Amino acid sequence: MEIEIISFGQITEFINNQKIEVDGIADTDAFKQYIEDRFPALKGIKYKLALNKNIIQQNTKIANQATIAIMPPFSGG
Amino acid sequence: MSAERYNRQIILKGFGEEAQQKLLRAKVLVIGAGGLGCPALQYLAAAGIGHIGIVDDDTISLSNLHRQILFTTADIGKLKVEVAGKRLQEMNPQIGIIRHPIRLQKNNILDILSRYDYILDGTDNFESRYLINDACALLNKPLIFAAVSGFEGQLAIFNTPDHSTLTPGTNYRDLFPLPPGKGEIPNCIENGIIGVLPGILGTMAAAETIKLVAKIGQPLTNKILNYNLLTQEQYTINISHGDGYTLPETVDEFLNMDYQDTSEAPQGYIEIDASELVKLQQLESTILIDVRERHEVPVLDKQVYTQVPMSEFATFLNKEFYQKQVVLICQHGIRSVAAAEALQEKYGDAKKIYSLKGGIVKWRDYFLKS
Repeated sequence: MEIEIISFGQITEFINNQKIEVDGIADTDAFKQYIEDRFPALKGIKYKLALNKNIIQQNTKIANQATIAIMPPFSGG
Repeated sequence: MSAERYNRQIILKGFGEEAQQKLLRAKVLVIGAGGLGCPALQYLAAAGIGHIGIVDDDTISLSNLHRQILFTTADIGKLKVEVAGKRLQEMNPQIGIIRHPIRLQKNNILDILSRYDYILDGTDNFESRYLINDACALLNKPLIFAAVSGFEGQLAIFNTPDHSTLTPGTNYRDLFPLPPGKGEIPNCIENGIIGVLPGILGTMAAAETIKLVAKIGQPLTNKILNYNLLTQEQYTINISHGDGYTLPETVDEFLNMDYQDTSEAPQGYIEIDASELVKLQQLESTILIDVRERHEVPVLDKQVYTQVPMSEFATFLNKEFYQKQVVLICQHGIRSVAAAEALQEKYGDAKKIYSLKGGIVKWRDYFLKS
């Protein structure tokens, strides 16, 4: 299935906005595992996932053609 | 007289005299008179927000001037709140400007915030942002949040229920339960910032404040907007309530919170709160150790908390265990510090040692429900 990934802030330095074609990623926990394995730099920073523009607070099923955003906290002013 | 000053927005369809009166009655506190605060303050003052407070303990420096547009070269060295206050008062003498030349801390923030209806966070560090978030949540004050990083910005409104969807107010910890460690997220001093970006975000924050006060449009309640200057793209995400974090629910709990960065504690071990305990608990290689004596109550689940009373701790120190993170817990967080020191001495950097600050008594709600 196809998942669109959108990243923000310093995460864009190692994860570009992209569409990936993957199998076996049924839910957001699996996606988290997948993305951290593929981009280990993500493990070292705090971030939040949003599935189709909704913040993920617990494991949620992912449908084909989902969009997942990866957002770090900003503090600058 | 005020009618003429505000004429162009009063005649605006969808705004009008009633909205203008709401602005004039509102009390808004802007925290941080920097890159975000300067443009926000200018538009809030010009629009006729009746009482505006400004908090900043900093003085103006040359490297501020490319983005902090209330200040001139002649102002270098002066207090930001004084210069900003004077400029804004000249711009609009009909409103009240209150200067707070202080740094907000646990012991003064509740007093200051309670004098205002809306809080705009334009600070530049996580320590302040979590302090302000928790204080606003405790006092139930709407919080307009703006922050920048690189060429991007974030904008949100917290602690404000969304009446259209009946969603109670969310807060910053629903997005990021715990502050990042030092160095995890770059700040403006290390990373650089283009002046116009906080200009845009600060102006957007002022717009959200005006919308909230005047009750017009759809403010970013329970939403976070991500703005990208380089592409002019915006991406708005709906925020829902999370769990796994602790918000102080009483003044006492708030005063006991630790808003300092704990990641580089000089003692080697780290003192944590219950929300960090929850987070550590979810990691694979964590052992939770209850160092109270066996007769002490409340009794914790022995499946979750390994019992190693202090009276038996010396024996325990001679044994080995595989877990990488060790969280020590006792009644008040005093014996657990002693245990943390002993483990720290033995393992150095080989294991991460944590002590639950305030102990079970402080976080009893958490322990009783779990």
